[in-house]
Amino acid sequence: MKTMSTNSLRLQFLIITGAGMLCPWMPVLGAVGQGNAFFESKVLPVLQQRCFACHSHEKKIQGGLALDSRSGWVSGGDHGPAIKPGDVEKSLLIKAVRRVDDDLAMPPKDRLPAAELAILEEWVKTGAPDPRGGGSPAKAVSTIDLKKGKKFWAFQPVADPKPPSVNDKAWPLDPVDRFILAKLDRAKLRPVSEADRYTWLRRVGLDLTGLPPTPAEIKEFVDDRSPQAFEKVADRLLNSKAFGERWARHWLDLTGYADMIGTSNSVFAEHAWRYRDYLINAFNADKAFDEFIREQIAGDLMPAKSTEDRAEKIVATGFLMVGDIEIVNPDKAKMETDHIDTQVAKIGTAFMGMTLGCVRCHDHKFDPIGLVDYYGIAGTLRSSPSSHKMPDMGVWSTLNSTVLPETPAQFAARKKLENETQQRIASLKADQKKLTDEKTALAKQLAALGQADAPTPQIAATDKYALTKRRDELDAQTKKLGDTIKHAEFFQDKTPRAFAMGDGLKPADMPIYIRGNPYAPGAMVSRGAMRVASWGKFTPIPEGHSGRLQLADWLADKRNPLTARVAVNRIWQKLFGTGIVPSVDYFGARGDLPSNAELLDHLATRFMEGGWSQKAFLRSLVLTRTYRLSSANYPAAMKLDPDNRLLWRMNRQRLDAEAMRDSMLAISGELTRDSGGPALVLENPENCGALALKGVNPPNYSHKAPRPSQEFERTLYLPVFRGSSAGPDRLRAFFDFVDPAMTAGQRNQTIVPTQSLFLLSNDLFRKRAATLADKLLADEPNELARLESLWLRVFNRPITSTERDESLAFLGGVEPLITTVKGRPALESIKWRELCHSLLASNEFVFRL
Amino acid sequence: MNSGITRRQLLQRTACGFGALALHDIARAASNPLADRIPGMVPKAKRVIFLFMAGGPSQMDLFDPKDFITRRHGRKIDSPLRKEVTQVGTEQFLALQAMAPVRPRGGSGLMISDLMPHLATVADDICLLRGMNADNPQHAGATLQFHTGAFAEVRPSMGAWVSYGLGTENSNLPSFVSIQGGGVREYGSAFLPAIHQGTKLTVPLDSKTLPVENLRNVSENDAIQHQRMDFIARMNRRLAGALQGDANMEGMIQNMELAARMQLTTPAIVDISKESKATLDLYGVGGKETDKFARACLLARKLSESGVRFVQITTGGWDHHGDIRGNLPKLCAQTDQPIAALLKDLKSRGLLDDTLVLWSGEFGRTPWSQDLSGTAPIDKHGREHQPESFCSWMAGGGIKGGLTFGETDDMGYRAVSGKVHIHDLHATMLHLLGLDHLKLTWRHLGRDFRLTDVYGEVVREIIA
Repeated sequence: MKTMSTNSLRLQFLIITGAGMLCPWMPVLGAVGQGNAFFESKVLPVLQQRCFACHSHEKKIQGGLALDSRSGWVSGGDHGPAIKPGDVEKSLLIKAVRRVDDDLAMPPKDRLPAAELAILEEWVKTGAPDPRGGGSPAKAVSTIDLKKGKKFWAFQPVADPKPPSVNDKAWPLDPVDRFILAKLDRAKLRPVSEADRYTWLRRVGLDLTGLPPTPAEIKEFVDDRSPQAFEKVADRLLNSKAFGERWARHWLDLTGYADMIGTSNSVFAEHAWRYRDYLINAFNADKAFDEFIREQIAGDLMPAKSTEDRAEKIVATGFLMVGDIEIVNPDKAKMETDHIDTQVAKIGTAFMGMTLGCVRCHDHKFDPIGLVDYYGIAGTLRSSPSSHKMPDMGVWSTLNSTVLPETPAQFAARKKLENETQQRIASLKADQKKLTDEKTALAKQLAALGQADAPTPQIAATDKYALTKRRDELDAQTKKLGDTIKHAEFFQDKTPRAFAMGDGLKPADMPIYIRGNPYAPGAMVSRGAMRVASWGKFTPIPEGHSGRLQLADWLADKRNPLTARVAVNRIWQKLFGTGIVPSVDYFGARGDLPSNAELLDHLATRFMEGGWSQKAFLRSLVLTRTYRLSSANYPAAMKLDPDNRLLWRMNRQRLDAEAMRDSMLAISGELTRDSGGPALVLENPENCGALALKGVNPPNYSHKAPRPSQEFERTLYLPVFRGSSAGPDRLRAFFDFVDPAMTAGQRNQTIVPTQSLFLLSNDLFRKRAATLADKLLADEPNELARLESLWLRVFNRPITSTERDESLAFLGGVEPLITTVKGRPALESIKWRELCHSLLASNEFVFRL
Repeated sequence: MNSGITRRQLLQRTACGFGALALHDIARAASNPLADRIPGMVPKAKRVIFLFMAGGPSQMDLFDPKDFITRRHGRKIDSPLRKEVTQVGTEQFLALQAMAPVRPRGGSGLMISDLMPHLATVADDICLLRGMNADNPQHAGATLQFHTGAFAEVRPSMGAWVSYGLGTENSNLPSFVSIQGGGVREYGSAFLPAIHQGTKLTVPLDSKTLPVENLRNVSENDAIQHQRMDFIARMNRRLAGALQGDANMEGMIQNMELAARMQLTTPAIVDISKESKATLDLYGVGGKETDKFARACLLARKLSESGVRFVQITTGGWDHHGDIRGNLPKLCAQTDQPIAALLKDLKSRGLLDDTLVLWSGEFGRTPWSQDLSGTAPIDKHGREHQPESFCSWMAGGGIKGGLTFGETDDMGYRAVSGKVHIHDLHATMLHLLGLDHLKLTWRHLGRDFRLTDVYGEVVREIIA
């Protein structure tokens, strides 16, 4: 190809120079030799001085264009040949230096001097004579070697290794333990002993539900000496609603979930909560993970069993909608491209542990993923547009939403609600009319007072004062009422909707966008998936379909080498603190290698063979010996494996923000258990701004007036705001809550002094301590029993005698320092609040061992 | 005490704040590995003060007036916008001239508006960048790009990179402080170790405001809090002992002590009452318009003087879509005197030579007018966002004072020479600090990330 095009250009060159007899330049340049001389003396210095810094083999080859050889500009860069000899107008190089297009203005920093521009124009006009030989065209050739790439461990098919034999046959409770112990045997390491029952119960409660056990649950388990004691606990936890609430939040960390759209202007995402609730239900119903994937990519395209099922599957596609996307870019083409990129990157990271976002502009630098792979997936998403411009709202766009199907009962209930709203609006409007009438009458009276035939000035003055006062009252009332009516009308349509995907009108393949620029389309790419992880040809996409269903099937296929491995590794990390592949979101060449590759494959196989059941999988893991281990160190192991890569002990973890806040609420007895539904308090007009269907900026939200219940709901039900630290609880801002623009399977665990200030002084801790103290004082008249109860609630274990002595000393020491209150009950309350607060701020509460 | 946390993990998880004496060795450790990577680079600046004018100040009104526009004031001009781009309220495309005279100042003749009379007196100290450009036309994205280099992805802020590159000069103080900071990502550390994230500081205008959140003791008195902390410490030590060590728990124990110290020392750090009357007056502390920003600027000087590497002050209100004539002077009145005072004060203390001061918005504003009501007279119009060109300025820290660098086209829409992209600005800033922007990297998800991503060139022309 290259040779041919070069030849044909040479031919063209000759013809042009031949025909050049008619060209005005000919007297000057005459023949090829003169052309070459012109090039050497005039053109080359310009290229060297102005272009080579970025377009030569010695320096850089920006945009794939090299200008240090003839073949460089002949084959050109990303945008094609740089020069069309003889045609000044059509030559990209001339366009660039003339700065016709802002995206292609060269040199980038400074305008080319007019004289130099003229030289280049002359050169091109005369057929661009260029005697330079050699060199190679710089055009990027795909460097992806799929065959070689497939040899990397993560792209190898998942194996089903036999559990290895171990020396201590009694130790393993599950094949997992044999994989672990075999490695420890080889390293000549003994695992630590099991944690006590109290520790295990707190650990499994926090890991599966994000909540600590109650004193009653502790007693039940500790007293249960049956062989099924552990299983019973696991089953109870997995079947509690709290399980789904905990694990839905883990999944949300992968989605960039927030209750606002994009980052600008706090535009409320009023339907986002439906996806959050979908996740809670999916985990609690133990939806098979492969089905879970399919629904989130293509639920709207799947057959449904019932109306509810159909609605659920539509909501599931919120996975692709809830992330951080910009909706206020005036350039719609760029915006669409950014949306698609967010989605491709999310699919890559969440399901495959691959950084696909890198491939928007170029083949992946480290992993065998090419532009073809990226734009194959992107074409599918481009065929399912996810946003549209808001009519009458300036430069703003919004997420697409889908009307959800309703059962007859749901429909009736909704209509009833809408009717009530209509009636309320009517009655409000009647009130408004009364006020307006009174205002009109008042205005007349006021006007009359100024007339010549008014009563005596004395009376007029009193009247005027009263009337004016009344008028101001009326004005204020009318304004408030007006806002209430506007708010009621804005939200009067109660049709259930969800931010959801849907196929567009013209699903089609898309071209590669050169350097990710939608204005620079390159070669067309067939829709498909990542070739290096594929086992055959991509399922053909039927005419008129986006291809999401086929992509979903490909992701959820047992033959996909990444899906199950990535999923089990994420679950493992949540339980054991570190993934078998520690870089949970990146399984590529520069990621971490699995610490126990056989175990990873064993788990992946077990997960798939178990029908992709997450509950069954989790159940088996928490019942292993490995999960029962204590988290204490011992010197010999610390020497050999200080990072605990071989899991000779359990990894300690600090509670994440949710578990910390929720546990406190549970301990103080304030936790509300029946939550769900909208996180945003949109029903309160005070929280809603710019409620008009037309304007410069769309309606926005501010969390000025929370629902009173929100103080006591589980943290996952609280609204998530993006880009600002303002929120209904400050705990998340201080304790490593995931940035709601990221896909991050693992939270950071930072340790900063401002967190200690939070533990010591924030109201959240103070209030829980106060409630807990008063509760203990009311429940337990005996001081020692009260201490026993406090320890059981906060640390979930019995108090030791040292701790009892210290506590009594503490209470006794604090009492004389209290000067603001008198009387036993008040004194007791303060003393115990200080003690409760101390426990809540201590490491034993803040960490799970 | 070692529980198998690697040094890298420790760095990722641990951070210091005020009074972080016990952790200063970590801060040093963070800067050491870097020293090997930047041989031969001599820093001209040791620290940065970044004055961020959120909203996008109008460069045409303040620094870059255009005859072309002045001559056509109130009349229609041709739109240079691509047809796919929609703007609202600019449909008439009316030229809008600079609202106040912009004149040559000082010996250098650097152009500054009459709206900034104080800045005009230090014109010869600043380098005006007229060819600034960025990629995102909206506040959220553009603000992130200015602070982190990226407008969509979550990336470390420039203060965090500087902290990572240089560590701290004073281990009693954080290396990066954000005063009146905006969004968390503007001073976040993203994937860099948390030690490098900015500490958010609120300038206390009254006795009730806490400079740092949760700083107040909630116990009835200090003696009770002392008992409480003592009790916690005992429990924590016992637990760590039973586990035979845990670096994270150890960090929490030390931080508890630091937190108590912060309660004591922070109010003194933010206390400006010991400054001389002349200094307070210079900044405009107590001034009706200037008080708040004057306090912030004075605090910035105090922190820089004490060795904080990167101080960032954010002040909003520059987003003048309408009535720019009425609104812009107010913002100038609030900030002009304090900013000029900051430069003078730094200079008189000999600090300006190695302190780089950067003033900028996230973008500039259009030469044509905007009227969202559709009915206002030209006098009440404002301007739309413009990332294609805008003005920033730098001063001190090895920058050529009195230099005007870069120019825009006749209309003032595109930069045509001396173009400085945000990436170039970042590269230049790092260069002045002795850091090579190509070598200051952090590996995350397999890739070596830079503040300048894959872009950026040092603007050598502006370096003294």
